[in-house]
Amino acid sequence: MSSIAFQLLINGLIAGAIYALVASGFSLIYSTNKFIHFAHGAVIAFSAYVLYFLFSILGINFGFSVVLAIIFASLLGYLLDIAVYKQLRKKKTSSVILLIASVGLLILLESLILLLFGADVKTIGFIKGSKGMEFLGAIITPLQIFIIITSIILLAGLFLFMKKTKLGKAMRAVSDNKDVAEIVGISSEKIYSWSFIIGSAIAGIAAILIGLEQNLEPTMGTNLMIKGFAAAIIGGIGSVHGAVLGAFLLGIVENFGIWYLPSGYKDAIAFVLLFIFLLFRPQGILRIKRRAEK
Amino acid sequence: MIEAYFIHLAILVGIYLILALSLQLALGYTGLINLGHIAFFAIGAYVSALLTLSGIPFIIAILLAGVISALFGFLLSIPTNKLKGDYLALATLAFTFVIYAITLNWASLTRGPLGLPGIPKPSIFGLSFSSNLSFLILILVIVLAVYFLIKRIVYSPFGKVLEATRDNELATRVLGKNTFKIKSIALGASAFFAGIAGSLYAHYITYIDPSSFTIMQLIPILCIVIIGGLASLRGTIIATIILILLPEPLRFIGFPSSVVGPMRQIIYALILLLILIYRPKGFFGKVELE
Amino acid sequence: MLKIQNLSKHFGGVKAVNNCSFDIKENNITALIGPNGSGKSTLFNLVSGIIKEDSGKITYNKQDITNLSPEKVSNTGISRLFQKSQLFDNLTIKENLLLAIDNEDTKFWKNLLGKNKTTKEKEERVNKLLKLVEMESFADKLGRELSYGQKRLIEIARTILNPHKLLMLDEPIAGVTPKLRTKISEILLNLKKQGATILLIEHDMNFALNLADEVIVLDEGRVIAKGTPNQIKNNKKVLEAYLGD
Repeated sequence: MSSIAFQLLINGLIAGAIYALVASGFSLIYSTNKFIHFAHGAVIAFSAYVLYFLFSILGINFGFSVVLAIIFASLLGYLLDIAVYKQLRKKKTSSVILLIASVGLLILLESLILLLFGADVKTIGFIKGSKGMEFLGAIITPLQIFIIITSIILLAGLFLFMKKTKLGKAMRAVSDNKDVAEIVGISSEKIYSWSFIIGSAIAGIAAILIGLEQNLEPTMGTNLMIKGFAAAIIGGIGSVHGAVLGAFLLGIVENFGIWYLPSGYKDAIAFVLLFIFLLFRPQGILRIKRRAEK
Repeated sequence: MIEAYFIHLAILVGIYLILALSLQLALGYTGLINLGHIAFFAIGAYVSALLTLSGIPFIIAILLAGVISALFGFLLSIPTNKLKGDYLALATLAFTFVIYAITLNWASLTRGPLGLPGIPKPSIFGLSFSSNLSFLILILVIVLAVYFLIKRIVYSPFGKVLEATRDNELATRVLGKNTFKIKSIALGASAFFAGIAGSLYAHYITYIDPSSFTIMQLIPILCIVIIGGLASLRGTIIATIILILLPEPLRFIGFPSSVVGPMRQIIYALILLLILIYRPKGFFGKVELE
Repeated sequence: MLKIQNLSKHFGGVKAVNNCSFDIKENNITALIGPNGSGKSTLFNLVSGIIKEDSGKITYNKQDITNLSPEKVSNTGISRLFQKSQLFDNLTIKENLLLAIDNEDTKFWKNLLGKNKTTKEKEERVNKLLKLVEMESFADKLGRELSYGQKRLIEIARTILNPHKLLMLDEPIAGVTPKLRTKISEILLNLKKQGATILLIEHDMNFALNLADEVIVLDEGRVIAKGTPNQIKNNKKVLEAYLGD
């Protein structure tokens, strides 16, 4: 394989790893709650900024800041559910209204970031000037290797969690059929909360990695959300496996895409793919049937 | 000084009113969850700006802005016709992103992130509307025309078919009405007026760039339409005036623009959430959202 | 008038309509009966164009209407009443009825230019109909303000407002008071006199057998008996189908 193609593949996997983290948390929340939690992207953005604030501004120890940022992400997701989504759920509103509410929350959180931190780009600067290493003809930095490894470990952990743990199985039960799950004694409200706690924690981890790899700007949340959502749709929304598959596919297609197109079109690729899939193949590549939607 | 400020606010109210009334047509009356309304606004703005910058007279530019937006509305309605509820919402939202990506990347046409500066003030048959006061009068006339046209549509039998389609599309079809055609017309008409608003916006601010047309800008409009109440023209007008004027006192408390901007959005987002939770019918609404 | 030929439709593993065939005679009142799940409503939905058949043919007045969309089926002259109320909740009763007789309401430009005003003639017809069903006072009430029985009456009125040739009514008197039942019976008989053809699904045996000229019995998606009400009353197969196997 030519070294350019291999480099693109590596870049695609790095991007895919990040998107997979975004998409898997989002997918977990979607499959359990059955609505699009668009504000997930803002949770990621906010957590990245919190890391920036704790580490770069307050000077708190990096490891400590990371842990706090992840806890913050988890908490934020949980709060959004309790304060907004739960209230709407009580009124038996449709998933469309929940979607609109989540867009509102996305804008709310992004505006808060803008207000608190300003519009200029920030860097976390923990890893300074890392040199890329050569690996089979492609350049990859230690951080990027770390991202891929972390992503794989986390995703593997997520799959094991869903399959083996009591909580994971309960989540799948609620995802498959909430009413039946309640009959066997599972509290759906508790499961909803847990899905937000865990999904947002994954978002927090994604935030750390993204914050280290890229710069921070207030609209990064929307951008990531669109990518993550595109990945979830491409792979088949409602399935965490699908989201991960879609994420890596998206990462690779994006990077090979800019071989032919000007690099500015990178984001556009995700938008257009999302649009096309929504219109013509909403079940995604894996043809995931949407279960029990209104 | 104060006068200039109020004229500016009135112009903003006018532009938002056209946007809100046109969204009302698609969302409140036809039941189309169109979250891509800003895309039509963007298309209208860019079309009008590019045409006038190439020397085409304003009156043709603004009409073409409406027509081309309407065309996009029609085109969008074709693949989205069978989509329900959240998929329709998402597809239309994704449309906003696609238009954003196009305006950002097709630099040879739109100058990408640099935007289009120096958009000429409107001039009709030699009459120049360069002062803000004259612009206000122009907007007033256009707003009245738009209101009149939309009112005519929704109060006519066609409007009743729109509402029937919203309430129960299948039953409407069984009565012999082609709802696909109806929805396409509704989206096209809605896009037409949004395009007109886009043109007015471009010629008022005289500078547009892709960042003026993101989902952030959708929130105030969505807020207005839902608070005013779905399928209520009167509610839309009242809500527009109140919501546009509401965050203004922030300026007088001494906050700089960089703060007022995000605070406005925060206020709108909060209001939207509160309304969705506590009063989803809005104040004059006929119907609840979905 | 309406000819069903070898019509089949399955959902998942279940054959809702199984190679079903029958004819509906013009200007007759035909009752379609059968136990729950025998495919009656599915059959109606196939004719109305709401669902697509797996195989088979539907002919109406020599025209093949097998795969037409709901609006096209309606425009051939077939009118449909659903089991569940399909009245428009947020429109007034008057508006609900006008929708049924206005042929120009989907013409955008005509309406925008104000050339499609609801004429006096149309209003008259609506008022006459409201009077017939004794619901004039409900003209300006919203659809959602009516009780189930009232909605039913208005929907039946709406179904007959447009001079359709074939009326397909799915359980017209379900959940309706005895007084209303008689009224609906009268209306249907009147329509027959005016030349309409009526096909109705009904679970109320008395109503169906008293009103119908012909009865078709469905079980598990196919026709098991056909004949006059008297013949059906005494048909053993029909009895078995209802009492279960």
